[in-house]
Amino acid sequence: MTERLRRFDILLIAGAFLLLLPVLKFQRATDFIIFCIFVLSFDLLYGYMGRLSFGHMLFLGAGAYGVTLFADRVSPNPYLSILFAIAAAAAVGALLGPIAVRTTGAAFALINLAFNQIGHFLALIAFARFTGGEDGMSAVFSKAGFLDLQDKRVAFGFCLACLLLTCWGMKRLTASPFGILLRMIKENETRVKFLGYDTFRYKWAAYVLSAAVAGFAGALSILNYGYVTPSFIDTNRNVEVIFASLIGGAGSIYGSLVGGVVFMTISNYLATYIPRWEMFLGLGLLLLVFRFRAGIWGMVSTLEVFRPRREGEGR
Amino acid sequence: MSEPLLAVDAVDVAYGNAKVLHGVSLRVETGEMVFIAGRNGAGKTTLLKTIAGFMSPAAGAVRLEGGDLRGVRPENVARLGVRYVFQDKRVFSKLTVRENLELAAYPSGERLADVVARVVSVYPAMEKFLDGKAGALSGGQRQILLIGRALAGNPKILLIDEPTEGLAAGVIEDIFRLLSGMKGRLPMLIVEQNLPVVARLADRVYVMKEGKIFQELSSRAEIEAPGALEKNL
Repeated sequence: MTERLRRFDILLIAGAFLLLLPVLKFQRATDFIIFCIFVLSFDLLYGYMGRLSFGHMLFLGAGAYGVTLFADRVSPNPYLSILFAIAAAAAVGALLGPIAVRTTGAAFALINLAFNQIGHFLALIAFARFTGGEDGMSAVFSKAGFLDLQDKRVAFGFCLACLLLTCWGMKRLTASPFGILLRMIKENETRVKFLGYDTFRYKWAAYVLSAAVAGFAGALSILNYGYVTPSFIDTNRNVEVIFASLIGGAGSIYGSLVGGVVFMTISNYLATYIPRWEMFLGLGLLLLVFRFRAGIWGMVSTLEVFRPRREGEGR
Repeated sequence: MSEPLLAVDAVDVAYGNAKVLHGVSLRVETGEMVFIAGRNGAGKTTLLKTIAGFMSPAAGAVRLEGGDLRGVRPENVARLGVRYVFQDKRVFSKLTVRENLELAAYPSGERLADVVARVVSVYPAMEKFLDGKAGALSGGQRQILLIGRALAGNPKILLIDEPTEGLAAGVIEDIFRLLSGMKGRLPMLIVEQNLPVVARLADRVYVMKEGKIFQELSSRAEIEAPGALEKNL
């Protein structure tokens, strides 16, 4: 992306989501935004650190249940509830991270899937007394300050601001030495160790951050829908975020956003016209994997207008 | 007698049941440029990897300023000031040269600007490549970047594995000038098969054969003696 466009990218992202409004209703547009935040959280692990997780829904679920339980039992203040949800998801990440980040490849993916299964079981059965089990539970938030987040237009604006904040944070993070380090752990962890890094600590920190951002997305989902069910922690839904990341292009903030929007468009609208739309999604994914491994953004970013002027400009 | 900067004492190393180093001992004093010469398979790289903490000795000791390095993990060995420059000249190719240096500067707490200045001071031509992808560098430039990266955080000693391997004659001369410029300022233990380079730079040479130190040449006179290096290789 040219330097000028890059400088205003946060505004461009805001503009792009505002342009979706005439096509989508507020609640659906908010859904798109929240999913993009979730994809960004996943991309920190997969795109930047090179660890593919099959269990990222666990953290979305931790945030979703965290925000609901806090609003129900402690305070209906939405800001405090969201903060609690982020902390809850981060705590789950901090607890599981030391086990998960010691592994790579299939082991990492499956360990996360196992954790997700356990989380799903806990929400569905073991803690059904608190979570409402299969029926789930509703979340009611109070009006906080001048914002009434129950109003769908306000919720849209709030979630868009959250997305922009997440994008800004991710931009800073991925351009920082920490972000560079994560990318190099993906490229060659042994060499990173020889530079004097205890890579375990950095991988753990990235895992916790990724969990926290996913929890943030989970909390915002509840703000948008007003209820939580075990579907928010369902292991089967992990493919959604994986597909979105691959479609958009892993290891790029813009790729995550493009992937999030494209996947949501396909899953929301293709399903209206084609009963077994997943088959076409699968075929599309095969095409991506074999022909366009860098995803949509990967292809777009090779166009002249998006090409860096000098060799070496960051992603 | 005072403790040398780096001491390897009677080290045995094995890959599974296959013993590859047999009672290897050497030392590097402060300011010394020490070379290890030997044919392929003599155990030179294994020895460097053992010092760097990548492999554990089955017997013997590796000491840095008297402190035992056995069992210390590679990242901690690096943090203690032992920097290992790999043989294969693989840089972080997707990063810029500056980011490669930044990555090295970060754990050492040294400012990036200082690391960049140090690299440019030993190899001024690097300045124009700073914002280019490291993957676009030539083999010689990569080697220089790797050595420059290892200089971040004022290390106590550099371990360099075959710095001139696979490079053109002109580039070897660049590497030679770089090492020559650093000689006396920073202790180095270098594995090298290019004997003219060894003969011109070495303060001490260890010749390895079949996992053992076969010969030690510990003075310039011994090193420069005709055929001294060649006869035991």
